[in-house]
Amino acid sequence: MAGSAALVLPTEARAPRQVPYVALGQQFAAEATALLSRLQRTLASGQWVAGPDVAELETRLAARLGARECIAVGSGTDALILSLRALGIGPGDEVITAPNSFIATASAIVHVGATPVFADVLPDQNIDPAGVEAAMTPRTRAILPVHLSGRTAHMPELLELARRHDLRVIEDAAQAIDARLNGQAAGTFGDLGCFSCHPLKNLNAAGDAGFILADDAELAARLRRLRSNGLVDRETALEWGVVSRLDSLQAAVLLERLPALDSVTETRRRNAHAYRELLAGISQIFLPPCRAEEHNVFHTFVIQVERRDELQEFLRERGIGTAIHYKIPIHLQPAARSLGYAPGAFPVAERQAQRILSLPVHQFLTQADLAYVAANIREFFA
Amino acid sequence: MKVRYSYLSQQFGQIDELLEQIRAFVKTGDFTLGAELTKFEGRFAKLIGAEHAIGVGSGTDALKLPLKALGVGHGDEVITAANTFIATAGAINEVGARPVFVDCGPDFCMDVSQVERAITKATRAIMPVHFTGYMTDMPRLQAIAVRHNLPIVEDACQAILADMGGRRAGTYGVAGGFSLHPLKNLNVWGDGGVIVTSDAALADKLRLLRNHGLKNRDEIACFGYNSRLDTLQAVVGNWLIDSAETITQGRIERAAYYDKHLGSIPQLTLPPRYTDRRTVYHLYMVHAQDREGLQQHCLARDIECKVHYPIPLYRQEGLRHLGYRQGDFPVADAQAANVLSFPCDQHLSREEQDYVIESVREFYGAAR
Repeated sequence: MAGSAALVLPTEARAPRQVPYVALGQQFAAEATALLSRLQRTLASGQWVAGPDVAELETRLAARLGARECIAVGSGTDALILSLRALGIGPGDEVITAPNSFIATASAIVHVGATPVFADVLPDQNIDPAGVEAAMTPRTRAILPVHLSGRTAHMPELLELARRHDLRVIEDAAQAIDARLNGQAAGTFGDLGCFSCHPLKNLNAAGDAGFILADDAELAARLRRLRSNGLVDRETALEWGVVSRLDSLQAAVLLERLPALDSVTETRRRNAHAYRELLAGISQIFLPPCRAEEHNVFHTFVIQVERRDELQEFLRERGIGTAIHYKIPIHLQPAARSLGYAPGAFPVAERQAQRILSLPVHQFLTQADLAYVAANIREFFA
Repeated sequence: MKVRYSYLSQQFGQIDELLEQIRAFVKTGDFTLGAELTKFEGRFAKLIGAEHAIGVGSGTDALKLPLKALGVGHGDEVITAANTFIATAGAINEVGARPVFVDCGPDFCMDVSQVERAITKATRAIMPVHFTGYMTDMPRLQAIAVRHNLPIVEDACQAILADMGGRRAGTYGVAGGFSLHPLKNLNVWGDGGVIVTSDAALADKLRLLRNHGLKNRDEIACFGYNSRLDTLQAVVGNWLIDSAETITQGRIERAAYYDKHLGSIPQLTLPPRYTDRRTVYHLYMVHAQDREGLQQHCLARDIECKVHYPIPLYRQEGLRHLGYRQGDFPVADAQAANVLSFPCDQHLSREEQDYVIESVREFYGAAR
């Protein structure tokens, strides 16, 4: 590999160091002064719920990602729950989704009274359109693809299926802000796109936060009342709703951070690229290929390996933090027992659950950190 | 003179120390279920006199999660007050159950004498609302609940530090829900809520439900929600919680001053003032003749008075399917037509109160 010789510095790379999986403290320390002066302004306004910061954030996110409307809510989970509700999905309905996501994807479906129906995934961890088609029943109302790890799902195929079967499409773009497929942003393909700005996300608040993208004005209006007790003004509840508003304070944090999102994404992409080169040629590692039309944002950088737990422990002993997203597929969780799936139902997802490992890929990693991680992985498999 | 309803910009006039704490906090990166939240929960539980406190995303969620934890769901009925804020009934609806309303009394709380009539075979819980900071007659309600073997979940969103018989709002039921919304007596800088309970098993279940049902990072015990009080907001809560008693006293004193001067105006009726319970005046609400006229007069004089609430819940469009008819709750109806709330917060000055009193007097003097 052309670049690897320049990047691997074997002696230096082996000097012990700490490479944490996340660097939130570092991020906030770097931005503390700017953030606090912004927060002070928001606080002084006294408009801490549904204030002008929230409106500004919504406008900017919609413009940036290419949607007509953006509705900020309390969390990525609530973005999914409210989207399902706004589309009228409820008891008796089935929604097809991936079994290898974070639990919230499936629990959102359960919470509106519908049934999650899973379809297996492809080697790139995203839902297999053929599996989606096979999972359809007369009760299927929607497809809920997940852009896992910041890689766009197979949207053209899924949209075609949805069109043919008259289904709604809700995208779980919680990990995929600014991920693109042929230039189009994740979250703008389907009827609604759901995002999370949880502290560990690429664009992160200082607490739970989320938003929904929509092109349909009526759906957007419905989402705005659903997030605030069904109220259309101070007095009138047009329908039942919940309380899931983005705090003005968190909107201010996100506004302060938004200009840096390009560089955060770029750094994560650069880190991922460096790993690809540094880890090239290790036959025990599978790295999902990046297709030319994908612009992945690497919320996580996931490798697939045998002896995953051993490798994780080996790296931990060397000061390298890693994570597993996610160790137990949703259909095998105790919470999902009533859905009636058995081990073996989704062989690809289940096998990946044994093999996946997320390496640190955040924007505070140095070249030396990356080289150190790679050198240790190489040593493990040597 | 401008008499504003929201005092929030005043509340945080002197916040350098708090901002320093936040600066220190953000550097820890401990944003979700962090140490400051645990500390706040401990202090909140102690303040209320409960064993456990669980910080959640909002007051609404502080009502919804206990119902969910108690297994209340589809086909079940929950009895609540007809005049409450939409969120109480919304929480009941959220778990799939049906709100069954009971009319209120002159103190804006559920008329406990009507509760037994509302109990059916489908009733699974009672949710009294300590509206405006008045406490519902909990000893009587509790006797009814025991007789019918029904759990009580208290909506104490407006009633922090209210008490009756030496027990605080939120501690009579199996759980009590509080709101920390910016306009509440004890507030944070956004939406927030707390559940208190002295039942350890229920507390464990609630901690699961607020955090995706996660037993640990990898295992999910049940389908849960994402409803965590932000640790950042807990820093604010920790900064303010020692003032909870002072804030409450400030409101009680201002209410007493209004009472003294408004009580003698014949066109106004004050709600009952109890000696056997402590009212914390989240709202200072009076019954007024020609309420619309009085409100317009006050608004014209730059006094931000409000109506909580002009349309009773059971007549809301969103609740039409419950099948209630106009006139089903005559007391709630009468109050919706005659109540008016004046600013009564701890930052309100004596001059501002005098201006309000003088304006009300002027209105009725002119009307006479």
